Amino acid sequence: MTQGNIYMDFNATTPPDPGLREVLDQWLGQWGNPSSIHQHGRGPKKILRDSRRTLAEFLNCHPLELIFTSGGSESNNLAIKGSLAALKSIHPHKDKVIFGAIEHPSVMAQKEYLQKIGYEVVTIPVDRFGQYDLNFYKQIIDERVALVSVMLANNEVGVLAPIKEMVSIAHSVGAYFHSDCVQALGKINFRLKDLGVDLASFSGHKVYALKGCGLLFCNKGTPLEPQILGGAQERHRRAGTENVLAVASLAWSIAQLKTDQLYEQMKGLRDSLEAQLVEKIEGVEIFAQNQKRLPNTTSLCIAGVSGEAMMMNLDIRGFSVGTGAACSSGNPEPSPVLLAMGIPRAKAQSSLRITIGKMTTDQQINDFVRNLVEVVSHLRNLQPSGEVRRGI
Amino acid sequence: MASKGRVLVAMSGGVDSSVAAALLVEQGYEVIGVTMQVWDYSECNIEEGMGTCCSSEDVDDARAVADRLDIPFYVLNCESEFKSQVIDPFVQSYMGGKTPLPCVNCNTYLKFDHLIFKMKELGCDYLATGHYAHIERGESGRWGIVTSADSWKDQTYFLFTIEPSIIDRLLFPVGGMTKKEVREYAEKNDLIVAKKKDSTGICFIDNSGYGAFIDKNYPQLAAKKGKIRRYPEGEVLGDHEGIHYFTYGQRKGLGISSDRPLYVIKVDVETGDVWVGEEKDLYSKAMEIADCHWLDEMKDEIYQVKIRYSQKGADAHLIPLEDGRYRVEFVNEQRAVTPGQAAVFYKGHRLMGGGWIL
Repeated sequence: MTQGNIYMDFNATTPPDPGLREVLDQWLGQWGNPSSIHQHGRGPKKILRDSRRTLAEFLNCHPLELIFTSGGSESNNLAIKGSLAALKSIHPHKDKVIFGAIEHPSVMAQKEYLQKIGYEVVTIPVDRFGQYDLNFYKQIIDERVALVSVMLANNEVGVLAPIKEMVSIAHSVGAYFHSDCVQALGKINFRLKDLGVDLASFSGHKVYALKGCGLLFCNKGTPLEPQILGGAQERHRRAGTENVLAVASLAWSIAQLKTDQLYEQMKGLRDSLEAQLVEKIEGVEIFAQNQKRLPNTTSLCIAGVSGEAMMMNLDIRGFSVGTGAACSSGNPEPSPVLLAMGIPRAKAQSSLRITIGKMTTDQQINDFVRNLVEVVSHLRNLQPSGEVRRGI
Repeated sequence: MASKGRVLVAMSGGVDSSVAAALLVEQGYEVIGVTMQVWDYSECNIEEGMGTCCSSEDVDDARAVADRLDIPFYVLNCESEFKSQVIDPFVQSYMGGKTPLPCVNCNTYLKFDHLIFKMKELGCDYLATGHYAHIERGESGRWGIVTSADSWKDQTYFLFTIEPSIIDRLLFPVGGMTKKEVREYAEKNDLIVAKKKDSTGICFIDNSGYGAFIDKNYPQLAAKKGKIRRYPEGEVLGDHEGIHYFTYGQRKGLGISSDRPLYVIKVDVETGDVWVGEEKDLYSKAMEIADCHWLDEMKDEIYQVKIRYSQKGADAHLIPLEDGRYRVEFVNEQRAVTPGQAAVFYKGHRLMGGGWIL
């Protein structure tokens, strides 16, 4: 029934790089436990070592500053819970944590947990364009703050935070700084040492690698207590046999990235998409359009049309796009990110997230626009009648 | 093969709607499955496999069947509509001394209204459900609903509020089958729900009963307490904790002892008194109904009326009163005419419409 099979939800996950199949086969032969001392452990251990080096070079850090985890959510949990647990014994008086207002759920959900164990958690609000209120941040940050966590690039709207500036403010009061960089990797250029962050999270499956592998950058000297106990892996910072295959795929995928060229290419397609949509559909508003943001992300609302209905119609036509966060489909609550930006509920419920990647083509963008135009026109024609019995 | 049209099928995760979806795929329709999530199942403590439509396992089952049939499937969150259109009126009805029938409201406002809108949104030609009912064009050329092949499972009783104008957009694929045939089809086609138990009772009420449901979810509503009185003399047999614990014709759980079986005859919402009496006191010659909805033109003749789901129709006259109310006179006395339930009228097998018992 579907007209195509076009994927435009790259911020949810990415298809594995087509070339990965061939190299995977070769890694499959290295099935030993990398912690084993005998010959079967050596090959997998080497894969981990090589991968770590490739990734460290790309991210501009020392290989031993990278911890392999199961993904972005684990990295965010390890960064926040692990550093706070370690800091507790060093600076028991530091009982305050600062989060950005539009963090990923794997950061946001820790707010309640931290409050339960005695922390005060303050969130830095954002404005209509996803920009942080830095004056508020400067006012509330003090010697009591143990950790600040603000994402580099937002997963839904794509806005970038001024991390470098926020890090120096944190460091001036002796607070550590974590940044969720999951969405930034493979979409914009940045260097960890330039950002100055103490902790940073990454995920493999957002950059054309296999699912099941993430990274936590932990700057040398940043205290961190493991959250998974039971082994000496990752220098005692994360127990458990490493996912060698996924780790290898992450390093390999990163090495394939034609960074500047890809980022330009995505931006060109994205800008063309937005220009066409604004021209062809009445009542399109693109969130944070004039802000610094990811080159692949379009978050928009189309006045008076249900985001859920658009998503389902597009799906039936063979286009996969996002509404809100990927994990909460079936959830009628509009995106918390849009709500935090002060977007009214009705608008947030009319939103779509279109995110592209290195496989996206000009033709796909044009096909998508044509189909969305048709879907919106169909749905708008239904509006006046409303539900059959509503109002009776 | 050219598609016979696009159908939105309401899948509850039960065997009937699963087979309905499978039959439509087999018949060459382009099928899209949806499940309405109607109640926050995180608070439900219904035992697994009880076959109610609000548990997450049911959503999973519906999804598994859709995957098996290789059709698109979506979960529609209808919690707020369900609460305002089904659960709130259900509670108000009990608190008003009546015995509600929430499945009709669910059909009226969700399945055959909200989903009709979804059907249009998704560019579908038809809406299908797993109801045991038939759609037929009558002698006048008018589309109508008639009772299903399985007279024991027939569910037309719950469909009397359907707008006649949408009937030609509806499909009831299992209406021509018996429950046994439906189960056999599910088994033969490897649908995992083949052996699942039938849903019984009300989907959002768990084993602790509707009284407990109301107490737990609507603690702000004060229970209307009162006396249990013997009909007709008025002798006080005991006290009770709230009229919402009683239903007309109820025998068990009255909390009184008696040398002969006693039944709830009447709930007096004014005084809070619950009247109990003997079996013979349960019978009535007539009743009044309101908020009627007709699928066909009603004439001055004898119809068959069902005053509860699990009942064969009884012959009755329908006499129009003021304000859209009707007086229904039974040819033979009927047992436990229950306010809040539906009176649904048939001419032979054809569903004519109905109203709510006052």
